[in-house]
Amino acid sequence: MTAVRETVDTVDQLAGEKYKYGFTTDIESERAPIGLSEDTIRFISAKKNEPQWMLDWRLQAYRRWLQMEEPKWAKVSYPPIDFQNAYYYSAPKQNAKLASLDEVDPKLLETYKKLGIPLVEQQLLAGVAVDAVFDSVSVVTTFKTKLAEVGVIFCPFSEAVREHPELVKKYLGSVVPESDNYYATLNSAVFSDGSFVYIPPGVRCPMELSTYFRINEKQTGQFERTLIVADKGSYVSYLEGCTAPQRDENQLHAAVVELVALDDAEIKYSTVQNWFPGDEDGKGGIYNFVTKRGDCRGPRSKISWTQVETGSAVTWKYPSCILRGDGSRGEFYSIAISNHFQQVDSGTKMIHLGRDTSSRIVSKGIAAGRSSNTYRGLVSVHKKAENVRNFTQCDSLLIGPRCSAHTVPYIEAKNPTAILEHEATTSKISEEQLFYCMQRGLPAEEAVALIVNGFCRDVLQQLPMEFAVEAQKLVSISLEGSVG
Amino acid sequence: MTDAATKFIETYERERNSLPAADLPWLDARRDEAMKSFAEAGLPHRRLEDWRYTDLRQLLSKASLAPAPAHEGVVLLPTTAFDAIDGHRLVFVNGRFRADLSNLGGLPSGVTLVPLAEALRAPWARPLLEAPQASGIVALNTAMMGDGLGLHVAAGVRLGKPLHILHFAADAGAFHVRNLIRLEEGAEATIFETHAGAAAASSFADHAADVSLAEGARLAIVKVQDEAPSAIHLATLTARLDARSHFAHFTMTLGAGLSRNQSFVTFAGEGAEAHVNGAVALRGKQHGDHFVVIDHAVPHCASATLFKTVLDDSSTGVFQGRVLVRPDAQKTDGRQMTNALLLSRDAAMNAKPELEIYADDVQCAHGSTIGELSREALFYLRSRGIDEETARQLLISAFLDAAFETVANEEAREALRGLAANWFRLGGGAA
Repeated sequence: MTAVRETVDTVDQLAGEKYKYGFTTDIESERAPIGLSEDTIRFISAKKNEPQWMLDWRLQAYRRWLQMEEPKWAKVSYPPIDFQNAYYYSAPKQNAKLASLDEVDPKLLETYKKLGIPLVEQQLLAGVAVDAVFDSVSVVTTFKTKLAEVGVIFCPFSEAVREHPELVKKYLGSVVPESDNYYATLNSAVFSDGSFVYIPPGVRCPMELSTYFRINEKQTGQFERTLIVADKGSYVSYLEGCTAPQRDENQLHAAVVELVALDDAEIKYSTVQNWFPGDEDGKGGIYNFVTKRGDCRGPRSKISWTQVETGSAVTWKYPSCILRGDGSRGEFYSIAISNHFQQVDSGTKMIHLGRDTSSRIVSKGIAAGRSSNTYRGLVSVHKKAENVRNFTQCDSLLIGPRCSAHTVPYIEAKNPTAILEHEATTSKISEEQLFYCMQRGLPAEEAVALIVNGFCRDVLQQLPMEFAVEAQKLVSISLEGSVG
Repeated sequence: MTDAATKFIETYERERNSLPAADLPWLDARRDEAMKSFAEAGLPHRRLEDWRYTDLRQLLSKASLAPAPAHEGVVLLPTTAFDAIDGHRLVFVNGRFRADLSNLGGLPSGVTLVPLAEALRAPWARPLLEAPQASGIVALNTAMMGDGLGLHVAAGVRLGKPLHILHFAADAGAFHVRNLIRLEEGAEATIFETHAGAAAASSFADHAADVSLAEGARLAIVKVQDEAPSAIHLATLTARLDARSHFAHFTMTLGAGLSRNQSFVTFAGEGAEAHVNGAVALRGKQHGDHFVVIDHAVPHCASATLFKTVLDDSSTGVFQGRVLVRPDAQKTDGRQMTNALLLSRDAAMNAKPELEIYADDVQCAHGSTIGELSREALFYLRSRGIDEETARQLLISAFLDAAFETVANEEAREALRGLAANWFRLGGGAA
């Protein structure tokens, strides 16, 4: 208790004195005291040298969060989360570097091999010291120069708060308000870090931000916050996550992603999520409670979400589009695979506010083992939204008699000129197709992988090229042990 | 506790001893238990997922919920769409059975058709009433049920002529009707139901029906709800189907300011089939909600649901459907489709077709569309010299007809078409 008191005192002191010493003050302690309180938030904010307005924003969110209740409507069940028994800030851990790949868990290497990840990246992902082999710094520098040339800002969130406060202030919370929902509010209060992207008017981002992200990603912590702003007429493609399995000790992940597309801008946001799903008996695994929302703020803007969800024990995630600008377009392409005891409740919301807006939803759910896989989506057409068009297709594939698949679409139309179509099917993997493949010499698992990949084709095609290949393999790996 | 709920509780306390078969101890206990659960839950409201588009608590707050008077005198009954079809006739006025207006002669032997008070004493009725209810609001009906009909058809008996039931609301006020239907093995029956009301009657009609079909039994119900615009109509159907039984239910909703039709069908035996379909045509400020849950609890059953909704003026349509396939209910075939046409700028449709599936060897599909009349189709017809009014009616009729097609009885199908035509005559669907 005295230790906690001390830390709190230190924070108080720092909070009062931070302007005196500037923003670079270093605090000795690497961890916030256990539990969640206003002091924890002050600690995080001080640790990150945040300006006062950022701290106020966090505190406001925290106070709202205290009054909120955990959502219970999703078709997932998990033991109650003790929010006071967790650390909300710990500096990126320096894992002991391994000398070579020989020291890495062979199981992990096998998965990398199956995914076809290049050797240098394998080393990086596994935490092998790569400096000698692979000059990541120079690559990053090259990228940075290239991005800077066209004026793209791409930096850690905490850096953006310091370097570009006017942009952050303008857009942060403008899509997902700080008190949006239980987990988003928690994130607003304690978010650790994440990415900030700003694409200036008329700029087409010269590279997939994924490339950079992938080799430069640090442990951003369990409360990631991402904000992407595409100014007028710009374009950006962003890839979050990684096909490689990620072992992560944090059980609860509550991330927030906000996208803003101004006039004629386009944002393509792709996610591959492969966090630890728990073991075959359903023990352990990540709770992934994410709020992702894009705002097509300007006319003719476009936001496209593509997700491949194979990891996490419990997923609660609805990447949405607010189609505010006339003629704007929202897309959602999703593959959600659940095996063993995984639970997925995912989908999207397409809120049509502007004229001539259109949206397209293609969701493919694959349930195996004893898992539960739910698509939950909303298509809403407001009264003034003329000539709206929506097409929704959500198909579920069941592998094995003990899994379950659910489809819960909400369709609300308040304007007669809207044309909304929704279709969904649920069926098991076709025995004829399996038989056909196996009869031609494919082992059962490969046959299943082939069929499932065909089932997911519409979505896989939406992924950036380099990831599409890996994602296909990931689909196969996720279903290992589901047949036979 | 809202005023509306309190009113019901007060009425119950006052009238409990004069309710039908009040002397039966098991029934008395059942009613008390039901009233207690209603009092605890109150009227359903928007925060309940099943009621998210129809806030009964709020909508009933302004309704006149005093018990409807016993209208015993002369009453001018409306014609019904099924009048031309020969059959037995039962008439209920303000929720009370009127033997003097009914005609139950010539029922085949093995068919028991009695008012609720009598049915409640029959041994086959008790399990129907004691079965757990899928919808909480039925508790209100269980406690307050004032009349209704009991239909029992013995094994192998076929009710040759259809049963016409007319429910007429002559005055303002609330009434609670309960129908209990049990078809034994291989029995067959057809029921045509018409719900109508006097133009000025702001009635609250609370209907509940419990249907139980034994092995191989077949039951078809066609229901037309055409109550006054000031009326509120709440109906819950609960059906339990044994092996190889066949149940076909069709609802046509034209009337009532607010209507909510709930259907809960449970498969209890393999090889059974259920069809729950409907056509809805609303205008003015009408609000029509259709809620269908099909519970595939056993393997090898098939269900199909099709609802066609046409919304004019500032009406609101709701379709909420759920196909539930329980673990082990393999070889299930579940289909669900809902289409809506918005004919006016102010009309709105909410649809929530749900699939909840816990077995893998199944074929389940659902679809939903919402849109306006196809401009190309209209143009096509206009370019061939058909005036706009006729063209619109043609297209809307064709749209609704797809639902009527699911009704097996040809005469009933024609009757429904007649109702659709009448809807146009009254101004529905006009440009």
